[in-house]
Amino acid sequence: MAVQSVQPSEGPELVQLLTPEGERVEHPDYTLELSVDQYRELYRDLVMVRRIDTEATALQRQGELGLWASLLGQEAAQVGAGRALQSQDFAFPTYREHGVAYCKGVDPVTLLGLFRGVNQGGWNPYDKGFQLYTIVIGSQTLHATGYAMGLQRDGSDGAVMAFFGDGASSQGDVNEAFVWSSVFQAPVVFFCQNNQWAISEPLERQSRIPLYQRAQGFGFPGVRVDGNDVLAVLAVARDALTRAREGSGPTLIEAFTYRMGPHTTSDDPTRYRLAAELETWKLKDPIERMKAYLSRGGMADGDFFAQIDGEADALAAHIREGCLTLPDPDPISLFDHVYAGGSSLLDEEREQLASYLSSFEEAVH
Amino acid sequence: MATLTLGKALNEGLRKALEDDPKVLIMGEDVGRLGGVFRVTDGLQKDFGEDRVIDTPLAESGIVGTAVGLAIRGFRPVCEIQFDGFVFPAFDQIVSQVAKMHYRSAGHVKLPITIRIPFGGGIGAVEHHSESPESYFCHTPGLKVVACSNPLDAYWMVQQAVASDDPVVFFEPKRRYWDKADVDAAAGAPRSLWQANVARTGSTATLITYGPSVKTCLEAANAAESDGHDLEVVDLRALSPIDWDTVIASVQKTGRAIVVAETPVYASLAAEVAARITERCFYTLEAPVLRVCGFSTPYPTSRIEEDYLPDLDRILDAVDRSLAF
Amino acid sequence: MPTFKDFKLPDLGEGLTEGEILKWLVQPGDDVKLNQPIVEVETAKAAVEIPSPYAGIVSALHHSEGDTVDVGSPIITFDVDPSGTATDAGIAAPAQTKVAAQADMVPQVPHEPGMIGSPAPKAGSEEKIEVLVGSGPKSGKLTRRPRKVAAVEPAASEPAAGAAPKPQPARVSAAGVGARAAALATEVHVLAKPPVRKLARDLGVDLRVISGTGPSGTITRADVESAADGGAPEPVAAAPRRAVDFDPATREQRIPIKGVRKMMASAMVDSAFTAPHVTIFTTVDVTPMMELVERLRGTKDFADVRVSPLLIVAKALLLAVRRNPLINSTWDDAAQEIVVKDYVNLGIAAATPRGLIVPNIKDVDALTLPELAGELQQLVATARDGRTAPADMQGGTITITNVGVFGVDNGTPILNPGESAILCFGAVRDMPWVHEGQIAVRKVTQLSLSFDHRIVDGQLGSQFIADVAALMADPTLFLAWS
Repeated sequence: MAVQSVQPSEGPELVQLLTPEGERVEHPDYTLELSVDQYRELYRDLVMVRRIDTEATALQRQGELGLWASLLGQEAAQVGAGRALQSQDFAFPTYREHGVAYCKGVDPVTLLGLFRGVNQGGWNPYDKGFQLYTIVIGSQTLHATGYAMGLQRDGSDGAVMAFFGDGASSQGDVNEAFVWSSVFQAPVVFFCQNNQWAISEPLERQSRIPLYQRAQGFGFPGVRVDGNDVLAVLAVARDALTRAREGSGPTLIEAFTYRMGPHTTSDDPTRYRLAAELETWKLKDPIERMKAYLSRGGMADGDFFAQIDGEADALAAHIREGCLTLPDPDPISLFDHVYAGGSSLLDEEREQLASYLSSFEEAVH
Repeated sequence: MATLTLGKALNEGLRKALEDDPKVLIMGEDVGRLGGVFRVTDGLQKDFGEDRVIDTPLAESGIVGTAVGLAIRGFRPVCEIQFDGFVFPAFDQIVSQVAKMHYRSAGHVKLPITIRIPFGGGIGAVEHHSESPESYFCHTPGLKVVACSNPLDAYWMVQQAVASDDPVVFFEPKRRYWDKADVDAAAGAPRSLWQANVARTGSTATLITYGPSVKTCLEAANAAESDGHDLEVVDLRALSPIDWDTVIASVQKTGRAIVVAETPVYASLAAEVAARITERCFYTLEAPVLRVCGFSTPYPTSRIEEDYLPDLDRILDAVDRSLAF
Repeated sequence: MPTFKDFKLPDLGEGLTEGEILKWLVQPGDDVKLNQPIVEVETAKAAVEIPSPYAGIVSALHHSEGDTVDVGSPIITFDVDPSGTATDAGIAAPAQTKVAAQADMVPQVPHEPGMIGSPAPKAGSEEKIEVLVGSGPKSGKLTRRPRKVAAVEPAASEPAAGAAPKPQPARVSAAGVGARAAALATEVHVLAKPPVRKLARDLGVDLRVISGTGPSGTITRADVESAADGGAPEPVAAAPRRAVDFDPATREQRIPIKGVRKMMASAMVDSAFTAPHVTIFTTVDVTPMMELVERLRGTKDFADVRVSPLLIVAKALLLAVRRNPLINSTWDDAAQEIVVKDYVNLGIAAATPRGLIVPNIKDVDALTLPELAGELQQLVATARDGRTAPADMQGGTITITNVGVFGVDNGTPILNPGESAILCFGAVRDMPWVHEGQIAVRKVTQLSLSFDHRIVDGQLGSQFIADVAALMADPTLFLAWS
């Protein structure tokens, strides 16, 4: 039996509206008409998101973060999806969706607490419709599905987007989420950023068929989009969210992209992939193609790009300042919020620790 | 006042919970049209509809995982795990997601999920249908764990669990589903969900137990009267957190404690009870705290399960050993 | 002024402890921007470029390429305010630094001792190393943090339980402590349930001197209560005047050999069959001593204590020990040595409701006479109450047994184990006595001395008892011999 390649083929299978060279192309199923300002805004988003990532990576290298999961290369996928979401929509991220968080209006400093070790997320997901990061691979897809079932029961016009990666596509929870959302026609969009690598494992270790094709077996549509093309991602994501809102059930979007950096700052990709592969993908850089498109179309000039860079510098300074001033938690706070309704056991342990800590001549911190 | 089986009392309690709060949902395998394999949800889908009493795909992680999402959305899902041995596919969602969400979100996200699990043996079942996995969940911070033992408690405790803003793993003694007792719904809940109940007062020794073993202990206490022993029986009801005040007061009165449960004894909830009593009652203990539990084996085949389960004789043997000190 | 900032090697990858400097991308004197790559470091996980955490002038590099550096060690120092003026003349200018850097990459820039130009402190040393955020396996502490006084109290785990009794300060010599420790090490663990232990502690009863009547010899609550009430568990101790519970069938009573009786029996057998005993006797006119006792009773110094003939005997014994030190010694069979003691722990054999015990007063030769009187009085009272602590029964060096209180003239006492002499003091009687050439009614008593003939020979024994007798017969000798 011939096994179809999991690599992208050209043509209609890969939805693309902007080529790597920055040329606008049309697609029979997906169209996107934006104003000049909206194109410029998307460019701005891409630059800002990359800057968030590079500054956080630098902070990790400088010892200010214990870990960082870089999104380098995946800016278009995240900005396209993030800008397709509306305010009443809820996002269920992995731990790499810093760009989606940015689009949802979450201050990047908020994301750093987890990586600096001063909290375990700790933000209010209801503020911006952006759930806490989920580190156990794929668990959040079920949460997204359940939330979508809740939207159905509330009669809401909101929709849900569940983020995950190519590695997570192997998880039972992801497959259960496909079953449930399909059976209940839940208004959820499964947004898979296929960045080709699950730490060191290539896509071939996860699937023998293109990931988007899995959806068909579960009874809903799947589509593969050029994940480095912010316009195509935006168009495809909007379309899928519209389907969800209309009650047509879930969609699987496979955003075909590439993780340009390591899995996290603790990883060394040179151990398992070739530099040539990286070079190939550099040519498909999501920001460069948008910049070329704006320049070529006369939608932006050097002043605009310089202004965006300045804004990115200010954002980076804000992130650095915010990171360095994140307060360390009080030791006794480790008992806080274990339960909503309190616990006699924790009351006792809290008292014991407080008494123990106060028994020393000098405070711990 | 009505005479109800424990299963029917749960059914009535769930019905009340569905009536009281439109956000309450019931979800699980076969809970709708069939009314559950133990008929605990019998008739509820007919009265509350398929959107509130949901027959789910056969995927336990999916049941609990989607319940998390529903709870984030503001619902109060009551998940039924069909049998104790089937909870493990959902274990990751329960211990990594359900238990920690409130903590990780610094209190912003509440997950008022009730996970009902029929547990324990003694029904002549095939494997995976007779287990007592409560110790795993008691060991997990962020979860609350309770076990009912009689129809009155079943009626009230299930409502209290559903009303809790914390996730509650709710263990139901499956071999007591058909036990009957009077339930006076008008009288109000006899006690908080987190309070233990002194099911029988006595002075010779304290039997500390929960779930299906409560009845066994009460029977043992009655039998012990002919030996001249006046046993006290404490029904823990809440397994995490435990109402230590009631336990400690009883042991300080009798000076002897025997923990009875079906769970495999090693590193079990019974071990925690024994350790805590030793810490808190050291100077009143006339004998070491003894445990009468399941053995440290997989749950055995049904033809010999009576030899595995704590029964009247094993309990009274432990009483004798305690009194010999 | 120039503001120097060190950058310490962070944990670059979740729990790493060190990294190797692969390549410096900047040199001392370079003007560096924030996030400009400054060094390539290889860890166990990956080779990474580190971006500069500061904008400023590089003032020093602390490690050469190829060096393996502990996480938390300073690797580079920046001057983040180079336009300022130095207040410390010792701070090197960048140019100098560069020269040094070219020499060996480890410039000697003396600004903060221990931070630059000297090796970075190693993990685990006293100085706290900042391993920065979320990073590095934390090295365990090697010393305890100081606690506030009385931070650790007995666990008040049972509120109903009474407060733990405060330990009694004991006057125990170093040797006494050692002896007690040795004695404890050989003791059998008592068997008693926790609530019985608690009761014993609350009542001040020492479980080690009680024999249990419970199963397997466990000590019961009743045993403790009896002991606290004065020794019922040893019914024979005060048995002669008590109604004896004879079995009507055998017309016998079987009394368990246990407790103080058992301990006494064991000690006496050990002593009698280990040390070759010799007992010598002398009779003394103690009329002057009895007059002295009367006079002392009238003095203010002794207003609060009981003055007994035993007090003078004890004092006489102490002086005689000083004149005959070998009498106050131990036969160390294991070491094949005689251990002569420069201190006297004076044992007083005491009849108590629970039987014979021999508590001793530690370092008794250091006491004044009123102090000694007080100690004797306390010792007797404690013994009668059955509250003598085990420590008070250990470490004795020489003993007086006062059989006179029973109206007996004298005896041949058995040595307290481990001691080499025991002085027996009989009843003081009005006796006809040749006094200054005339028959007179005098206060007369008998002394006897049992001694361990392995240590003490007849001459020494005789000299010792003669000295004691002389002091009792003529207390003015106390002045002469002191």
